[in-house]
Amino acid sequence: MTVTQDKYILKVDGLGVTYGNVVAVKNVGFGVLQGEIFGLLGPNGAGKTSTLSAIESLIKFKTGTIEVDGYDVQQKPLHARASMGVQLQSTSFQSELNVIQILQLFSGIYGVPMTKDKINQVLDEIGLADAGKKKFGQLSGGQQQRVSLVIATIHNPKLVLLDEPTTGLDPQSRRQLWERIEAIRDKGHSVLLTTHSMEEAEAVCDRIAIIDHGTVVAVDTPEALINRHKDDPEVIAVSRRGKVTLEDVFIALTGKTVRA
Amino acid sequence: METIVPKSSTVFATLFRADLATAVSNRRSVVISLLVPMIILITWKGLIKLIGGPAVLATSITIGLIAIGLMSYTLSIARDRDKGIFQRLRVAPVPTWAIMASRISIQMVMIMVLTLGTFIIGYQYDGISLNAQGYILTFAVAILGGAVYLSLGQLIVGLIKNFETINATTRITYFLFIMVGMVGGIDSMNATVKKLVNFSPYGCVKMMLAGSMEASKWTSDTSTAVIVSIAYIVVFGGIGISKFKWNTK
Repeated sequence: MTVTQDKYILKVDGLGVTYGNVVAVKNVGFGVLQGEIFGLLGPNGAGKTSTLSAIESLIKFKTGTIEVDGYDVQQKPLHARASMGVQLQSTSFQSELNVIQILQLFSGIYGVPMTKDKINQVLDEIGLADAGKKKFGQLSGGQQQRVSLVIATIHNPKLVLLDEPTTGLDPQSRRQLWERIEAIRDKGHSVLLTTHSMEEAEAVCDRIAIIDHGTVVAVDTPEALINRHKDDPEVIAVSRRGKVTLEDVFIALTGKTVRA
Repeated sequence: METIVPKSSTVFATLFRADLATAVSNRRSVVISLLVPMIILITWKGLIKLIGGPAVLATSITIGLIAIGLMSYTLSIARDRDKGIFQRLRVAPVPTWAIMASRISIQMVMIMVLTLGTFIIGYQYDGISLNAQGYILTFAVAILGGAVYLSLGQLIVGLIKNFETINATTRITYFLFIMVGMVGGIDSMNATVKKLVNFSPYGCVKMMLAGSMEASKWTSDTSTAVIVSIAYIVVFGGIGISKFKWNTK
């Protein structure tokens, strides 16, 4: 873990999100430190997406506060959004635009216009030097993720939000993306990622929060969580092949029932 | 690292450039919105002696405006919402008004291109000419008429979320307006029905365009059509904006 100083880039406190009469998130609180990769884990419908949407100020929330680099997302949404880069779960860009045009669009709206030379240099760095004139939809899943990640970090944000970034990627692309995420962290940025892959959480996250039924049930490093729960009877009961993993702890804390 | 919130004007200009590139690349939209009215103008040359040049010009522009408002604008908004393109823009420091203003500005540009194109083709191919006042007034009325159909498009995307349903609704409405235009031209029509047709979104725009081309044809009904059109814009646009959701969930 390379937390450079004890400074929270993201602070979520007492968050409550409701949709009509349905309570999606209740009293959720956690913080992401500068220079750490923080994982938000939870079963389907646990409240991860609602929490992320509240941080992105895409939805209004009823209770609590969220600050990104000191900016309240409800009071100063544009400042908060300018302080973060986001990679959505299903990223889509205008299908008529090519990769260069998409990069020009997002560099412009983040206030960091890029010349064609700079764009070509960026594309070269992610191994897509020849793909500039291609439409986004013509790229492979791994290539699309690389472009999306470049766009999420194009303005050098303090916080990068990645919503299930490795879904649908082959092992090679996934490993490569992990390295890119770690490189983002190593440059001093903070990363908040959601994932269903416990392997991914163990491999790249410095700390994780497990969320279930709209509340945070555990926050710690993956190792600390495993060590704390490895002797719990519920964990041992769900453990396979004799070695307790993060997935065993996750299943024990959130239950074996399959969620919708 | 200092947080930079880009100027709204910079964001708008960037969005406008991207939306313009998208609109130009979208050939189907360009064909439906710009070529169909031109084809009507050319193929209706024989009708000029019968109904007059301005009437042919007014019909072509009206059909083009309907296509822009209902097909081009509505379908592009519905598609981009369905694909999550708006959500991607909204997580950036982009004011929501800038996203919509850029989209509407593109359609306004298309309306201007359509109107100028119709003037040129009408003059060159059909020999339809207006005086300077007629051209200026028609140009202004085309923008007002375009706003009527854009607000109707906004109403559709505001009330309906599903892309396929929007697609079907816009096509049916487009067809309905063409039918209304045909029915409105039948002289033996019941007076009440004729009034309804005349003050429908189709009838109002066509009446305003015809009146703006020839000052002698501007009647009290034309002035009423202007007021009704503004009312359509306020009501359709107001409901469409207030009910609009940025995602389909």
